Amino acid sequence: MQDERLARHLQDRPAQLREAKENGTKIIGYFPGNYVPEELIIAAGAIPICLINGGDTLPLEASLSVIPHIFCPFARTQIGERLLKRNPYYDMIDMFVAPITCQHLKKAAEIWEHYGDMEIFKLGVPHQGNNDFELEYFTDRLRVLKERLQILTGNKITDEKITGAINFYNRMKELLKQISLLRRSSSPPLSSADFLKLNHASYSADPAFMVDTLESVYRGLPEKQPVTRTDAPRLLLIGPNISDGDYKVLDLVEEAGGNIVIEEVYEGIRYYWHTIDSRGDPFESLARGYLQDRVPPAFMRYSTRKRLDFVLKLIADFNVSGVIWYELLGCETYDAESYYFSRKMEEQKIPMLILESDYGMAGVGQMKIRIEAFIEMVKGGLE
Amino acid sequence: MEELLKLCGFEGDEAAAERPRIGRAFLKLGISAEDIERGTQRLSRYYATELQGIRKILRLLVKNMVNTVLAREDGKTKVIYGFMIPGFSVFTSALVSLSQEIHAAYLCPQFQIILGGIFDKMSPVLEAAEGKWLKSGMVAHCGNVKGLVGLLVRDLIPRPDLLITSGLLCETAPKSVDLLHELYGIPECCYDTCQDREAGEYPAATERIVSLAAKSLRLVTRKIHEEVGIEITDDMLQDILNARQGLCDTLGRVDTFMQQGDPLPISANSQILWDYMGALTFSKENTPEAIDAINTLCLELEERVSQGVGEVEKGAPRILAMLPSHHTDPRQDHIVGELGMAIASTDRIFDTSDMKMPEDPYEQMILDIMRGSLFHSAQRRVSLVIEGCRRLHIEGLLNRCHIGCRTVTGDALLIKEAVSRELDIPVLFQERDDFDSRVYNHEQFKRNLEVFKTMLKSRSGEARVP
Repeated sequence: MQDERLARHLQDRPAQLREAKENGTKIIGYFPGNYVPEELIIAAGAIPICLINGGDTLPLEASLSVIPHIFCPFARTQIGERLLKRNPYYDMIDMFVAPITCQHLKKAAEIWEHYGDMEIFKLGVPHQGNNDFELEYFTDRLRVLKERLQILTGNKITDEKITGAINFYNRMKELLKQISLLRRSSSPPLSSADFLKLNHASYSADPAFMVDTLESVYRGLPEKQPVTRTDAPRLLLIGPNISDGDYKVLDLVEEAGGNIVIEEVYEGIRYYWHTIDSRGDPFESLARGYLQDRVPPAFMRYSTRKRLDFVLKLIADFNVSGVIWYELLGCETYDAESYYFSRKMEEQKIPMLILESDYGMAGVGQMKIRIEAFIEMVKGGLE
Repeated sequence: MEELLKLCGFEGDEAAAERPRIGRAFLKLGISAEDIERGTQRLSRYYATELQGIRKILRLLVKNMVNTVLAREDGKTKVIYGFMIPGFSVFTSALVSLSQEIHAAYLCPQFQIILGGIFDKMSPVLEAAEGKWLKSGMVAHCGNVKGLVGLLVRDLIPRPDLLITSGLLCETAPKSVDLLHELYGIPECCYDTCQDREAGEYPAATERIVSLAAKSLRLVTRKIHEEVGIEITDDMLQDILNARQGLCDTLGRVDTFMQQGDPLPISANSQILWDYMGALTFSKENTPEAIDAINTLCLELEERVSQGVGEVEKGAPRILAMLPSHHTDPRQDHIVGELGMAIASTDRIFDTSDMKMPEDPYEQMILDIMRGSLFHSAQRRVSLVIEGCRRLHIEGLLNRCHIGCRTVTGDALLIKEAVSRELDIPVLFQERDDFDSRVYNHEQFKRNLEVFKTMLKSRSGEARVP
């Protein structure tokens, strides 16, 4: 369903960014996971770029010279891309904001820091998140980030600018949510791949252009034909990460006749369920919004039950009849949680399939067979 | 059994008195008469049981393990476990000093050393965890966490009233503890900090994360108060910290003998025994026993150093080993000494002293932890290793990489590259799981060590780090 204007924009985006950079605008890179407020970056007059590339084995091979294989392929991709120097986004960053989330991305950031060729800001993410002193810590770190951005860009970040950016990104999140909710219908007008690609685009496209695109996409969707048969099993996709380029599982599910109607994915999907409160102190609002008012990923403490409750709600709201758990090899927290979720799904009589990927082609054949069998099984249960 | 108990420091009346309890605990753990015979042989072969200090330490470890297995039988109404939680021994020492109804144990070194190191019986425990959410294979779950989960799901230890962990080093421990709570109803709590120190912002960054962790740790003691009804005050903590200072100081002296002794006074294999003395919970009355064990060892090592007695010959190549000795497989460090190399130190004791000791006892505990090599970012850790190698005149690096741990594994190749480049000394890379003897090929490791030794020899004379 790729919007042609958006596709052209994404193609031209590296050149646009290079030009902006030549004109003195700073490019701020960051890792996904929804802990880095782009609002601050925009308020500093800089351009945020989220590094969410994945799905390719070449960077993985390159990464093995500095990091062992037990790291997840997404984290290794980030290291490998920097070593390969083939992706323009990885080379044009003036400052990198590394949210200290899971051990995999934390270590990827440390390796970048070790090489010392880029300014890095480590944004500490308190892993419990629900205590006042943790909120305070995160708020303080955001204030320090503001200082660092001001020094880098030479621009003053005012509360008004931040509030404006909050409102702007809230609009983007609302649009993504509205689009996503259309998939509650029995004849969804867009596939999971369509939605994810839109979502991924929002991480590198010009933000104003993106909002405009999302508005246009949302307006046009009701007129679209359903993307799948109405009797296709409705599935929920859960996992730590769907990166830009890692669409194999989506394709295989679609080919097998399944329909992923909703995702609960931590990295690679902009969190759109909640907006940020634009009243009051903007730093406190950002801290609360990014740290607390959200579904915690699996690496966060005491997150298992909260995530289960959210997933059960999605299953009900989106009329889901099967769950695909898609994890990256080496992701220890999601792997551990898959055991718990599979048991809980069994209690709910919701079939669940656990898949692992290392981005390689070797396991694709087996993955295909398992997905086909799973969808047959879900279909059988529906009949 | 008698011989085994003797090697573990139980003699005379105490051996007779403890034997039935130890027997009951062994039975529960599946340790048979045959295992005891084999364990006795392994003890003599792999650990320096000729030293009284080592026997005294083993005695305390065995007692801790037996007391844990039999805690409910012993009438303990509150059982608290700590896992991957530095500082646990301090606040639980305060608890057990106040109430005899409480049993507190830091898991799982006592089981790894005794059930694994001595009896080679950890595999069924690990397999039990693998049957749950810590599956074996490419995902590389940590063998330490498997140990905890395996002991609990096999009911080898009583279900606790509270299980405490920390997220200071990893996510695997808190996630597994959370799952133990969700699936088995075990009450849990956890304390955390943020591992966000940047290389250029020490010591301010240390102060920042120490303060955060101390606040988080205070919540843990509040939770303990809720669970066991005893409030741990700051004064109580400070008292325990003061009482344990002698233990910490003596442990430091032991490390110094290891670092400076030529020949190396004792096999690095035994290091794992005293490493965990600081992690065990002792009541105030029992603390002198622990200090005595370490003091005895310290005096024995001092005597060995002064007499030139050692585990390897004088002048043996001095190597630095990353991470502590293997927790369940004594063969791995033993073979290093057998081939004539001296593990003079491990990086675990390299630390930074960039911040003065705070007054708050919680911050004192946390700072003590955060100074350690494992808690720093890759860049800082690399510097610590390089500095340590220079200071200790290290001639080669045994770069052990615990594949179950993202934190340490992520640094391993950077350390290898930096040490080779900056110090030009041989580096042997070893991938293993520090808590799982199944992930190991002894013959292959031996061959690698032989090549490593040849490299060390070929550079001897020219290779000593200036």
